[in-house]
Amino acid sequence: MSAPGGPRHENPAGAVDAAHAAWYTVAHTVVHPSEPGWRDQLAARLGQRPRRIGPWAELALHGARRCLDLAGEPTLPAGACLRVASLSAASGATQACIDQCRSGLPMPFSFMQSQPSQLLAALSQHLAWRGDASFTVGRDPAAVRRLAETEAGPQGLLLGWVEEGEDARSEWWRLMPA
Amino acid sequence: MTAPADARLPRMRDVYLAGTGLACALGLDLPASVDALRRGGVRPMPLSVAEGHAWPVYTLPAAPTATPWLDRARDVIQRVALESGALATARTGPLFVASSSHDVGHREQATHFGGDVLEFADRIALWLDWSGPVYAVSTACTSSMNALLSAAALLRQGEADDALVLGVELGNRLTVAGFGAMQLLAPESAEPCGAERKGLVLGEAVAALHLSSTPARWRLAGGANVVDGRDPAGAVADAVEAMCRAALAQSGLRPSDVGLVKPQVSGSPANDAVEVEALRRVFSPLPPMVSFKASIGHALGAAGAAEIALLLACLEAGDGAWPQTDYPMDEALQVVLSPHAPRPLRHLLTSIIGFGGGHTAVVLEDGEGITA
Repeated sequence: MSAPGGPRHENPAGAVDAAHAAWYTVAHTVVHPSEPGWRDQLAARLGQRPRRIGPWAELALHGARRCLDLAGEPTLPAGACLRVASLSAASGATQACIDQCRSGLPMPFSFMQSQPSQLLAALSQHLAWRGDASFTVGRDPAAVRRLAETEAGPQGLLLGWVEEGEDARSEWWRLMPA
Repeated sequence: MTAPADARLPRMRDVYLAGTGLACALGLDLPASVDALRRGGVRPMPLSVAEGHAWPVYTLPAAPTATPWLDRARDVIQRVALESGALATARTGPLFVASSSHDVGHREQATHFGGDVLEFADRIALWLDWSGPVYAVSTACTSSMNALLSAAALLRQGEADDALVLGVELGNRLTVAGFGAMQLLAPESAEPCGAERKGLVLGEAVAALHLSSTPARWRLAGGANVVDGRDPAGAVADAVEAMCRAALAQSGLRPSDVGLVKPQVSGSPANDAVEVEALRRVFSPLPPMVSFKASIGHALGAAGAAEIALLLACLEAGDGAWPQTDYPMDEALQVVLSPHAPRPLRHLLTSIIGFGGGHTAVVLEDGEGITA
């Protein structure tokens, strides 16, 4: 993994894989918001535009969907784990809320979008999946992955690192125990 | 929807709650909190967030809010971590900081908006002189419950011998204003399962759970986290049921083995009813139930850890320290909040439901309960 603030590798997925030999990568994908038309691609893939979620969650959804498509899975198996990490999280929405608070009450959807957990709800909804999902982040991306593997069962793990801002990207791994 | 499943806690090493700490509206430590509860509790204080918009909040009896936010946070967090006993360890195990608001209060006060999600957790590690790995968990109201499950998974697999879970929700305008804007707050008081419940009342809290592989009175028997996005802001009955069943399965227990349930019920007109209906699908009849939301408010990401710490302290005190219901209950729900701690008690289930479709439960076993 190559999150801002964490170790960087030329081949991040491979470098992390070497430290987690008991797991293998079924699919790995990185998407950037600079890619033209990604929102249209996501809407076409989902059959509708995501509603009531912020740009951070939308970018995450795009990466997760693409990763599962790469893995050949229409959705996650029931017993799989979903883990999302981010150092920025939805900082844009949080800043907007604080600004709105200075002149009154924040907009309800802005407030909801400031919570990383809204992404988990959006993923659950769009994947028609119910299961163990969490937002947990640490400075060491390998430790974040190690923790996620520790919690995951035989159905494996969908792990995402999603950042907004200068180094915006949505990087996802579909991982299975060997 | 696919079927629910969860296997967060594979049966390996046992994990125990070696110590707890709590600062909440009732007091700045557990003895003070239990004593305040014994004396009838405290009332929430009105907090104005904008002209014409004020809501009650259960605030800490700590330094006044004029104190720099970070100074107040440091004092309370150090105190609570010390009470849990975790600072007597090598401080090299994992530290989980669970919160929905992190240090937003500081950012509001400082008109500063920099750093990242981990900045506050890293700062706490420095305050506690903690050298182990630091994680921030942010799943809204279920944050500290998920942190507890994650920490327990590491201990069960032998990745660490001790861990500290901190649930932290400290004063800020954004959270109160946000919940107010969503029309989720009660104008006066929280009345879980009450006939005239009008919403939730927020509360400040810092709670510490010191987990250890060394045997102690309370064993973490199992737990489950089920996210169901069909209602991003409320309880989903199927998910509540799935959460309970998965937590019981993880614990190797039947519903009839559970002697006490501490549900989410926060006073929400809709969610309390959904949750109770779902609990009734699992437990028949319902075991005795208890709620602390009318005593300390809803402490959001800290709620899970705070309510566990207070519940165990009440059970251990065993001298009438127990929340009392002083409002009429909703007869349609057919729920009674137990007026005293059930005895004997071996297993209890405690759960939190939150924003983002999160439904999380843990089952605790009292090693002394069999003889109580």
